[in-house]
Amino acid sequence: MELEAIGKNEYELFFGPAHPGSGNFSVKLKIDGERIVSARADPGYLHRGFEKLMEYRLPIQNAVLSDRICILEALAWNLIHAEAVEELMGIEVPERAKYIRVIMAELSRIQSHLIWYGVLSIGTGFDTGFKLAFGYRDFILDLFELITGGRVYPAGYICPGGVRRDLPESAKERIPKVLDKIEKMIDFVRAENPANIARLKGVGVLKLDDAIRLGATGPVIRASGLKTDVRKDEPYEVYDRFDFEIPVRKEGDAYARYQICIEEMEQSAKIIRQALKDLPDGDFIDERFSKLKLNMKIPEGEVYVRNEVARGEAGIYMVSDGGTKPYRVKIRGPSFLHLIPVLEFLLKDAQIADVPAIYWSLNGCPADMDR
Amino acid sequence: MIEKEIIDKIKKKFEVEGSVQRERRVIVKIAPDKLVELCEFIKDLGFEHLSSLSVTDWPKRGIYELTYHAWSYKDKILITIKTGINRDKPEIDSVYAVWGESAQIHEREMHELFGVEYKGNPDLSPLFLEEWHEKPPFRKDFDWREYVRKNFYDKENERERVYFEEV
Amino acid sequence: MAKESPQKKTMKRLIKAIWIFNWFNSCGFAELVPVVGSRWDMERFGMIVVGSPRHADVLFIAGYQTLKSIKRAQRIYEQMPEPKVVIALGSCTMTGGMYWDSYNTIKRLEDYLPVTMYIPGCPPRPEAVFEACAKIFKHVEEME
Repeated sequence: MELEAIGKNEYELFFGPAHPGSGNFSVKLKIDGERIVSARADPGYLHRGFEKLMEYRLPIQNAVLSDRICILEALAWNLIHAEAVEELMGIEVPERAKYIRVIMAELSRIQSHLIWYGVLSIGTGFDTGFKLAFGYRDFILDLFELITGGRVYPAGYICPGGVRRDLPESAKERIPKVLDKIEKMIDFVRAENPANIARLKGVGVLKLDDAIRLGATGPVIRASGLKTDVRKDEPYEVYDRFDFEIPVRKEGDAYARYQICIEEMEQSAKIIRQALKDLPDGDFIDERFSKLKLNMKIPEGEVYVRNEVARGEAGIYMVSDGGTKPYRVKIRGPSFLHLIPVLEFLLKDAQIADVPAIYWSLNGCPADMDR
Repeated sequence: MIEKEIIDKIKKKFEVEGSVQRERRVIVKIAPDKLVELCEFIKDLGFEHLSSLSVTDWPKRGIYELTYHAWSYKDKILITIKTGINRDKPEIDSVYAVWGESAQIHEREMHELFGVEYKGNPDLSPLFLEEWHEKPPFRKDFDWREYVRKNFYDKENERERVYFEEV
Repeated sequence: MAKESPQKKTMKRLIKAIWIFNWFNSCGFAELVPVVGSRWDMERFGMIVVGSPRHADVLFIAGYQTLKSIKRAQRIYEQMPEPKVVIALGSCTMTGGMYWDSYNTIKRLEDYLPVTMYIPGCPPRPEAVFEACAKIFKHVEEME
């Protein structure tokens, strides 16, 4: 007896914000059986209007607000905001402060990649990876608490002019010990679990032409074959003095992005060791900023600064009209492009069971998409 | 140097005000009706990545200033294109034909927050806000602190009295 | 011994190990996930994270809510069965916190959901979350 087709079986599924397989973000899927016909992203659960909030506050207050642009990597956004204000005001940061900023930014990148590894494992059903990643991440959060005072939000530690406090004495011995532990964890992770790999290979393939047209940056475009990194193309702070490599892959699937995540953590550990060895003596903040003066005027002009945060390319466009507060701030977050055009493109013709693997492998932070 | 060459190539073909701001930064100002032609020209020169686009509101001059930032992977230079449109009836052609979906999503956000009409963009539906019926929230004449004090806070409440004092 | 009301008897029997619903919103994500993780392990107290609102006892509202996400939180609260508790984490739920002048966040959580306990902090540490859960047991003990 043969089965005949009665009709098309299409219905709409709301893959919403309270699903364990998605973050604070929802996608509307049109499904035919088990195959997705089309997807439509539904952002806006975390929209606070950051860009206009910054117009009401002085730059020193904005330094505290800028931690919260992306909750998972607070120090990296602190750094890019400080660079934008410094370029507008024409301030030169002392050498010791630049080295300390690079160390904090790279520690923040390792911590963010550990979160990426943890949630990608739980999305594909590998619970051990989740527990390992969040366990080792706590060593780095203890370091943050020692240096800046806060586990998650450093309260504007990297402010325009330098850093707020000097590195304490015990930090120089504790940081290499923490890096040794993390490198041991990475060696363990390399002995891979075949069931986990089978869920990632060949899933969510993104070719290079599509990636450039859709606006992907950072690890997503490096997994598709283009060797580019803002730290090498346009070096900021003192990145041009360090020796590190950029991992690139050609396949463009979720497994390639996973491999890049692991290799980037190793390269960051290499940069931190070099920076600690060469750390010079001196001031840690520019003199004009060490005593708080609340009505410094920002000269007229505009500036666009680009940095490499853990998720991709970040940009801040700041305009000033000569007053004490910025006139317009535009924040370009990497997840805005990864989670709306790239995700809608990759989910076409995918299976429903692959949606968490594709979504978590793009490493999107819904907070820096909505701002 | 290469920034100067790019400015010279553009000046040969279009009527623009251009200058080199610093190393790796070139800035160009053009009239709004030639914008899409200029964008196609620079895309052929190698500027294939649209980094961001933004709108600045200048109520005293009566214009919305649009800014487009594009990066070239080949030469490693960023070009900024600026143009100005009328503030009370903001309309301009979309650059969706030049840079694809990355331009389309940025324009959708600017349409919702500033009210700019992009002709030629396939989808300008609301992105972040559900059922928002007042004027576009990022304009300079929409004061957030007044709006919040009227709608959310209560002056009689002890905890909230401090929000009614001027900072 | 004073006579216990029937409500207290049910609460004492049902709230022995708390099950949390998976609504890790905004800033609370960065401090609630380590509570699930291996350093501040919450399974030793019997707490696990569940995926369906019908199985949950506690809803953590961790951080600021926007007008769009508070509607979803209200629907989740309606679907949870009695007895249920709402715990509000962070200073954004009390008076609006750092985003007090934003047009899209809510300022007083008590206008939208009945809150049992507030935990101050920005964000509060994991030890504070455990102390809050311990206080729920004490609260049930002191009910009449």
